[in-house]
Amino acid sequence: MSAPTSARTALSTAEAGPSTAGPLLSINGLTKHFPLKGGLFGQSRGVVRAVDGISFDVAEGETLGIVGESGCGKSTTARLLVDLISPDSGSVILGGRTLGVDLTVRDLRRQVQMVFQDSYASLNPRLTMQDAIAFGPMVNGMARDKAVALARDLLARVGLDPGRFAGRYPHELSGGQRQRVNIARALAFSPKIVVLDEAVSALDKSVEAQVLNLLADLKAELGLTYIFISHDLNVVRYMSDRVMVMYLGQVAEIGPVDALYATPAHPYSQALLAAMPSMDPDRRTMEAPLAGDPPNPINPPPGCRFHTRCRQADGVCSVTVPVLHALPQKGHLASCHLHIPGSGHTGATPRTEMAP
Amino acid sequence: MSSASFETIATAGTLPGYWSGVLRRLGRDPVAMFALLVILAMVLMAVFAPLIAPADPYRGQMLRRLRPIGTPGFPLGTDELGRDMLTRLIYGARLSLLMGVTPVFIAFFVGSAIGITAGYLGGKVNTVLMRTVDVFFAFPSVLLAIALSGALGAGIFNGLLSLTIVFIPPIARIAESVTTAVRKIEYVEAARASGASALTIVRVHVLGNVIGPIFVYATGLISVSLILASGLSFLGLGVKPPEPEWGLMLNTLRNAIYVQPWVAALPGAMIFITSISFNLLSDGLRSAMDLKS
Repeated sequence: MSAPTSARTALSTAEAGPSTAGPLLSINGLTKHFPLKGGLFGQSRGVVRAVDGISFDVAEGETLGIVGESGCGKSTTARLLVDLISPDSGSVILGGRTLGVDLTVRDLRRQVQMVFQDSYASLNPRLTMQDAIAFGPMVNGMARDKAVALARDLLARVGLDPGRFAGRYPHELSGGQRQRVNIARALAFSPKIVVLDEAVSALDKSVEAQVLNLLADLKAELGLTYIFISHDLNVVRYMSDRVMVMYLGQVAEIGPVDALYATPAHPYSQALLAAMPSMDPDRRTMEAPLAGDPPNPINPPPGCRFHTRCRQADGVCSVTVPVLHALPQKGHLASCHLHIPGSGHTGATPRTEMAP
Repeated sequence: MSSASFETIATAGTLPGYWSGVLRRLGRDPVAMFALLVILAMVLMAVFAPLIAPADPYRGQMLRRLRPIGTPGFPLGTDELGRDMLTRLIYGARLSLLMGVTPVFIAFFVGSAIGITAGYLGGKVNTVLMRTVDVFFAFPSVLLAIALSGALGAGIFNGLLSLTIVFIPPIARIAESVTTAVRKIEYVEAARASGASALTIVRVHVLGNVIGPIFVYATGLISVSLILASGLSFLGLGVKPPEPEWGLMLNTLRNAIYVQPWVAALPGAMIFITSISFNLLSDGLRSAMDLKS
């Protein structure tokens, strides 16, 4: 890259982009099917529908939590967002510019960075912490001494004394310290959005809390936007402004964190929240937990993908695919026939307001 | 630009720290150090053969053929043409080491390049490269070496060439498998997410993490190469008489195995000592390269 690095001050997010009246990041119908290769000549034997037409917006400065069971497409979504894998269809629009049209992968990656779950595997065992962080800025054209200075600065920023940690190798750090380094590495690009893919899931509870607080501090300081992927509902509630529930590669429900946790609309969200252990013995979980595993994403059930495990499934659920439908609370949407008036579900309100 | 500034990270920045650590740990390994001493002694012996050797390696006397070990004037006896065994063993180190080390050295670079390319790029490139390499696996290595040098004709250069070709496939195979494994680790994904080019990622993030296992495997092949080279000479395809080379000497002395078994076994002992030294050194290197130890 030949961008004038001298003008780009470290850590400043003041890179003036096109005026963003709309959302910072807009995802439309993102789809990724992994072909299943088999046989002697590698013919395709069907596809894994990892992510199947999901759409959502992320506003500047907010934290969007993404929750769901293993294999529901959370991590695939994260990788699609930084183009580590390319989508089959759908668009990624960042700051009004569409990926592949007027936004290059390189520009996208500079503005959207990712922190992975496995803190050890995400660091090259042969690079010192300072070199690991300096790598990104250097491949983007920063001089080595400036990149190293930036790396040491960032280490201090994430709470690691550069004098002690800059020259260390990954195996000489604890999991929490390594994850701090990974966060510093993501910040070295002065990104607008940081995708945290189960970034704290592998940490001890006490360390997890420290890293979460660090993330919250950094967000406030640098005006970051987070996409926070986790299977831990408590952590997501603590971190997020809005939450998206995914099931089998699709969006089941999306909405403000308080609305979604207080009045979950989709039966799947209800089951997820009911499975969360309660801290209050008087409010013990009474409902039976969700049985079975999610169906195979190679051959997802027709209609609503959740109908095979849904207690409130009705005839329409196995026939018609529900679309995301707005709920009374602003910004709260769910894809369940139960909440779509006139869907044909016995529990749904009949379609009353037919336009004359 | 990025590539220029990048040299620093790969050369001046980090690798010296790592490699000096490897050498320090290797220095603390007594077995590896002993093996290294033996190899160094062999190399010195080869280089300074004319100064060390007590006699002329080509001159023999029919009257003193097959003398036993300890004969006055011939500490290790004489061979079937009455030449001094000690002298010929010392001179033999030259060709034997050349035939043992050179093919592996060249195959290390070529095989690594093929394997890392196939492993990192994956997909069709991988299929084309690795299936081509697999063709060579259809033949046993000894047979392949014999067939190749038989087709090319006897001689040292052709022997070296055929041995090099024999060693490229196994090294490429190892390089491909470790590269494929490393490519899937998240730090490579993170590097890709930083917008680095494939070449830069391979140089900084892949090479350092795959070269160790490949190098250790290749040093292990030196002993095989020594024995294969000796085998070629034994069959009359590598070095030709009267050149002193351990494999060839083993061949020509085999008729004397009942007359002077100890003398006839000496070239074999040299091959054994050298190859086991290389093996022990590569073992030591493997543990020295393990950062977590």
